Amino acid sequence: MTENGWCGMSILANLLKLITYEENPDREGFVLKETSADQKATGKNEAPSIGKNSPDEQKKAQAGRGSFKKPVRPAGKVTEKPRKIKDSGEAGAVQTGQTAGRVNEKPVVDKLSVSASLAENRDTVGILYGLPENKDIIMRDIVIGTEPVINGFVIFIDGLVDKSVQDLLFQALMLFAARTAPPEKGKLALFVKERLLPGNQITLQSRFRDILDAVNYGDTALFLEGCADALLVETKGWEHRGIDRPTIEQVVRGPQEAFGETLRTNTALIRKLIKNENLTTEFIKVGTRNQVNVAVMYLRDLANPALVAEVKRRIDSVKTDLIIDSGTLEELIEDNPYNLNPTVMATERPDRVAASIIEGRVGIIVDGSPFALIVPTTMYEMLHTGEELYTRWQFGTFIRYLRALAFYLSFLLPGLYLSVVLFHQEMIPTELLLAIAGNRERVPFPSLVEVLLMEISFELIREAGLRIPGVMGTTIGIVGALILGQAAVQANIVSPILVILVAVTGLSSFAIPYYSLAFSLRIYRFFYIAVGAMLGFFGISIGLFAQIILTANLKSFGVPYLAPIGPRTVTGADVVTRLPVFFHEKRPDYLNPLEIARQPDVSRGWLEQKDGGKDN
Amino acid sequence: MVKIIKEGRFGPGEAVVLLGISSMARIFLSYPRLLVDTGGPAVWMMPLGGLAVALAGIYFMSLVLKKSPGSTIIEITEQAFGPFIGMAVNILVTFQILVVTGAVFIREFSEAMLTTTLRYAPISLIDAAFLAMGLLGAYLGVEALARTARLTYLYVLGGLSILIFSLIPFWNFHNMLPFFGKGPKEVFLMGTYSTAGIAEIIIAGVIVQAMGGAKIFAGIGYRAMLMGFGILFLSLTTLVLTYSWPVSEEFTLPFLRLARTIYLGRFFQRPEAIFILIWGIVGAIKIALLLYAAAVSLARSLKLPEYRPLIWPLGLAMFILSLLPLDMPSVIEVDAVYIRSAMLLPDYLLPLLILAVLWFKGRGARAGS
Repeated sequence: MTENGWCGMSILANLLKLITYEENPDREGFVLKETSADQKATGKNEAPSIGKNSPDEQKKAQAGRGSFKKPVRPAGKVTEKPRKIKDSGEAGAVQTGQTAGRVNEKPVVDKLSVSASLAENRDTVGILYGLPENKDIIMRDIVIGTEPVINGFVIFIDGLVDKSVQDLLFQALMLFAARTAPPEKGKLALFVKERLLPGNQITLQSRFRDILDAVNYGDTALFLEGCADALLVETKGWEHRGIDRPTIEQVVRGPQEAFGETLRTNTALIRKLIKNENLTTEFIKVGTRNQVNVAVMYLRDLANPALVAEVKRRIDSVKTDLIIDSGTLEELIEDNPYNLNPTVMATERPDRVAASIIEGRVGIIVDGSPFALIVPTTMYEMLHTGEELYTRWQFGTFIRYLRALAFYLSFLLPGLYLSVVLFHQEMIPTELLLAIAGNRERVPFPSLVEVLLMEISFELIREAGLRIPGVMGTTIGIVGALILGQAAVQANIVSPILVILVAVTGLSSFAIPYYSLAFSLRIYRFFYIAVGAMLGFFGISIGLFAQIILTANLKSFGVPYLAPIGPRTVTGADVVTRLPVFFHEKRPDYLNPLEIARQPDVSRGWLEQKDGGKDN
Repeated sequence: MVKIIKEGRFGPGEAVVLLGISSMARIFLSYPRLLVDTGGPAVWMMPLGGLAVALAGIYFMSLVLKKSPGSTIIEITEQAFGPFIGMAVNILVTFQILVVTGAVFIREFSEAMLTTTLRYAPISLIDAAFLAMGLLGAYLGVEALARTARLTYLYVLGGLSILIFSLIPFWNFHNMLPFFGKGPKEVFLMGTYSTAGIAEIIIAGVIVQAMGGAKIFAGIGYRAMLMGFGILFLSLTTLVLTYSWPVSEEFTLPFLRLARTIYLGRFFQRPEAIFILIWGIVGAIKIALLLYAAAVSLARSLKLPEYRPLIWPLGLAMFILSLLPLDMPSVIEVDAVYIRSAMLLPDYLLPLLILAVLWFKGRGARAGS
């Protein structure tokens, strides 16, 4: 065939290729395919015969209809008994089914120990940290200037260590270590620890698990030739936020410090306020992946031991991948996660945690979270702030009663308005009724729609106000004021009285000092709008009964949520009315602390000093 | 071995308030009108005889409960009458008294709500709403109910106090004459008969272990009766002082009428709707307590380890029974003629019978030995 002929064939082939369909194998690009663990979890790769022939499956097949009625746990939750993957009792050691399988694809680090061979240790560390791809893990060979010299290497994470401390460390080892090393290789680590290193906290560890945990937490590990231990030198020094003013729990009078994201700083802030040797800080590691440190703080001679044990038991038993903030831990340890009301107190104020610990409660601080948790807590405490104690008792009491009013208004007001307008007009004075009717005359919507429109708009503005970038912050105020206030009324979409009502409800909601409680009341409000619109005051009474009984049934770490009123215990001087501080003789009875008395009956000793003032 | 039903625990104060609030529920219904009809201007004296009898009933019940301090009236009934007759008596008490009383209360409260505020709503809807509250309360248990009562009683008593004090301008003490009303027989004898039949004595016998046991039963019972009958006394006195008895006889719901009468200036008038809140909550506590007591009684009679599975069937039975009467007069008649009389049997006759049987058994045993 001629060259032209080949050319013609080629053109024809290309034309045919152009007009005919061909599957493009690269069309989907990158596809994240299921791993074997995923397939195992979803049961895709299970051979049908295996499942059906297994005794469990046969039992299921024979079981009656009733067995299938059993509530199914949410997907992904494994109900089989926990399986231990290592002997130690550390948190996170016990894992279940599939999760454990995933975690253990790497070498079982828990069983690895430091070798006497430096090269072997270097290889092990390299594998464990994925070196050299893992760029922020620094492994550095050093030669310690003793006589004879000792070879070694250090490993640390760049960014987590304090470089000035590390410089001192290297100087001490490499420049100023002009001593004679002991001939026994096994004693090298001890020699370096006791004679050469100036660091303030140095430990010897032989298990790689402990070494990795320390390095991940900002320490520097030093491995020496011929030595089956590693030295862990405390060099923590990452970048962090300083101590700021509280942003959510602001007070006019009282301490102006808030927690940060650093655990040790947070514990120190509490210890700064409670200068007592009985203040105990226990660390528990939680999370299989991030192994976050959780500090449990309590007064050893005051907190009920059963309470402390329960707190530790719950935290210790948590098995999850990741805990970034105390909010996640809160949900994992609280008594009634399905109820709207929060049963754990979260605060950003160290003074509040300190005051709670001194009452016999337990503080929980999660590394990386600027909010500490306090358990147990009651709903009345969620309506308190420190300010009542820092100002005069009359002011504190006045604020408390104002807040009690705000509490009820924040969830009841729109529902009550609808009930009155739709069902019980007779109880509105005639003049007011005429005013409301006159305003509503031009509004085309039913009252329920009107209320929902305004409430949803208000919620949107609140949410947008939180999320909007700072530079645009003023916009939200303008938009809110214009839409909710003027424009909606002028457009006859809502009546002016409703604008006032929604504003008062919003203000009441903001007056609730604990954010989670205020949030739950926001949601309750919509229930009351629904029942109020459907059944009037009878609907409101249904809602109140349901809310009260569900709330009365709650417990926070074994303490009734509505104590000391429901159930009635010794009320004390600080529930709603805030009596003067010299009447606060006892700690809350429902906490069952080891010492109930907070101060003697006469705390103002000068009253008993009868000769007081004589010399003047 | 039969697993013990977990009932929770609450304190004596909560128990008093729970039983007291439960027993005062009747003042919101047509019951005061029936009493006015019987006693005339001396209606305020009628609860006195009932109180004395109720206190005696509590005393007899406490004697029965002390015979077996770890048990409730259900187990003691079986101990006294034997497993078969005892169980039959218990089931009879459960169905005839607690379930039927619950049904009547559901219907009466629903009718009251219809009359007061929701005139165009179907009765089944209001019935279902009350049943839902009863189911929730009974499911969460008597401990939660007691706490709810403890949390709400100040609002309830505060509301009643406001009602009474707001009506002082309308009081006329001449309304109380003639002093003995329709005659001592009507006032004291019929008054005692009409007011003594309350469900709370037998309920207290059923929940005695949750209240703290037989040892403190009598103290709780006495105080609860004083509270319940005291509120009834105050309500009847206010009614007869505010309206003369011939007028009071005409009110379907005297409490509503009293609330409607309040006039404290142009701005504060006709506040009866506010009392619906109290009304609804008290009604819910009463119905939930009756349903709970019925379920626990039946579970204990049948030796079941858990009472909760019985709540729904018993609640459904209550709901269906509550819809059987044709209208409000029919259900009031059932209450006045049947419930008030029937309630006397488990409250007073049953404890006396148990005491007699146990005494005879003890005597027989002593003679045998």
